[in-house]
Amino acid sequence: MCTVGGGPDIGDVESIAPKGYICQDCGNKFKGMGRRPRCPSCQSRNVKPTE
Amino acid sequence: MNIPLEDDEVAYLCGRTGTLAVVRTLGQFFYLDTDSDEIVIFTDDDDLLVASTFEVGERARRGLFCTLYLIREMGSPLIVLPKGHPASPRLKTVVSVGEKTRIKCDIQAGTHPEQDVLCGTGELDGVEVLSAPGGAEVKNFAGVVIKEKLH
Repeated sequence: MCTVGGGPDIGDVESIAPKGYICQDCGNKFKGMGRRPRCPSCQSRNVKPTE
Repeated sequence: MNIPLEDDEVAYLCGRTGTLAVVRTLGQFFYLDTDSDEIVIFTDDDDLLVASTFEVGERARRGLFCTLYLIREMGSPLIVLPKGHPASPRLKTVVSVGEKTRIKCDIQAGTHPEQDVLCGTGELDGVEVLSAPGGAEVKNFAGVVIKEKLH
């Protein structure tokens, strides 16, 4: 990934393929990438893909 | 070349025309924000944050230090500019997050979010920074490595 600190420049964001998740503990919905997702709101790892 | 990295250490890979800086992500997550969306990037404990600049010397190291400190220690999001934004040419550092980063000199800064490439000077083209238990493995780099505390 080539981003720029402070003001990252990513021109082709559409090519990123994040998954949608929902936190089973707090209900927070978010998009994420990576092998070990967790809720960015409550930090719980009890999350499930929504798609 | 293996570079052990403590949780609070940053390693600078110093070339003649450019500088890289490496810290461990410590398993933290990072926000990637566009004008219409927010994506959370999850990392493993030994994944790396790699920053690159086209400058050298103390000034370059201070800039990279601040970039990595803002992102990892203060949770600053990675703000995404659309392709062709007028600010792009003035940006001084680029950042990669993950288990592997390859430096390429022939890409446009910030236009390869889906790949493990990061723009750097021609001298650093081909350098690879890989996550390793407790640090980083660096390939194709023959410059000087400087480490300091990230605090």
